[in-house]
Amino acid sequence: MIPVSVVTGFLGAGKTTLLRRVLGDPAWANSAVIVNEFGEVPLDHELLAASEEVLVNVSTGCLCCVVRSDLTATLMELLRQRAAGTVPPYARVLIETSGLADPAPILHALMTDEAVAATHRLQSVVTLVDALHGAGTLARHPEAQRQAMLADRILLTKPDLGGDTAALEAALRAHNPAAPVRAAVQGAVEPAWLFAAGTLPEFLDASARHSEGVAGITLEREAPIPALALTLWMQALAEHAGARLLRLKGLVALAEDPGRPVVVHAIQHMVHPLEWLEAWPGADTRSRIVLIGQGIPRHLPARLLAAIEAEVRDAGG
Amino acid sequence: MSPPELRDLLADALALWGVPGRVAVAEGGVALRAPDGTPLRVVAAAAADRPIRWWVEKPGQRRPCTSVVGLLRTLRNAVGAGDGEARRLRVAMP
Repeated sequence: MIPVSVVTGFLGAGKTTLLRRVLGDPAWANSAVIVNEFGEVPLDHELLAASEEVLVNVSTGCLCCVVRSDLTATLMELLRQRAAGTVPPYARVLIETSGLADPAPILHALMTDEAVAATHRLQSVVTLVDALHGAGTLARHPEAQRQAMLADRILLTKPDLGGDTAALEAALRAHNPAAPVRAAVQGAVEPAWLFAAGTLPEFLDASARHSEGVAGITLEREAPIPALALTLWMQALAEHAGARLLRLKGLVALAEDPGRPVVVHAIQHMVHPLEWLEAWPGADTRSRIVLIGQGIPRHLPARLLAAIEAEVRDAGG
Repeated sequence: MSPPELRDLLADALALWGVPGRVAVAEGGVALRAPDGTPLRVVAAAAADRPIRWWVEKPGQRRPCTSVVGLLRTLRNAVGAGDGEARRLRVAMP
């Protein structure tokens, strides 16, 4: 499975600067970069031109690809060329979104295309926010709010130019209580931090924080959950919460094979195929699921799971 | 699921759908009122009715539901909250 990370952020947030910096690191040069024009929002041509120039100037052996059509087709074509040896054996894919893009359709494309989901794994969503203009952008542009809400990591850029970063961080927390926030000048941040998979502890921490409209909800279960109950629960939650379900992540012990946890992952109403791990990553083998949602009643997920689980167990005799 | 547990779940569901209303335990089930004023009642089906698990009743009509998932879908429609975004998910065992 090839990890895919999405780099998003409003116009001028510094995405290209960051990617140039990342690709300049020899350890990260073996990354395929896709500059994304996917979606209904017209592309900012000036930004794309700047990106092309940057991509051309990257000469550390990385693979660069400017997408002008379908994202999933591009990913699969890239993979085919990788297998054929016509492109370098890249270790990961980094997707730079348009500054005006809501990243959700891109994430949906990654999660719902069968061929892509079978060969690629959504690793992380990194959102860049301009420290100087970010608060205003966040207040005025729904796209910027969506970019913040869906982030696994948030990078404040241009902190050296001033701006009230404390107020901006508070505003970002209101939209996304889970994502860690760091500041960096000229993209000077460890790529390993940026593109690490979002971790469950971070989501668990987020459950303790509440902000207007957005909240983290945690479920913990001692007893393994029947696979059917888990799938029905996730389907029902996605069906009824729709776009209010911003993110869902978890490690779950299934009754059918409790020694091998499954990773559950959903963004809005799109549920990622469950991923089996060989073993529990730590001593804690309880099921832990965290939702980040907007206006989801706090006890609804647990009540719904309990009701579904009772029916499934009853039907199973 | 006991009537109080059902009441709590359905109250949460109404809140999620943005439907105002009050849900109360009544007559062995749960009673609520749709925004258009229609009285609704949700009751657990008897074991002999399996695979039916729930009934959603309104004047002159009684709809069966075979699961709590189906119940939520039926109730959502009954209170005029529109359709959700149904998706199919399957767990492939390793």
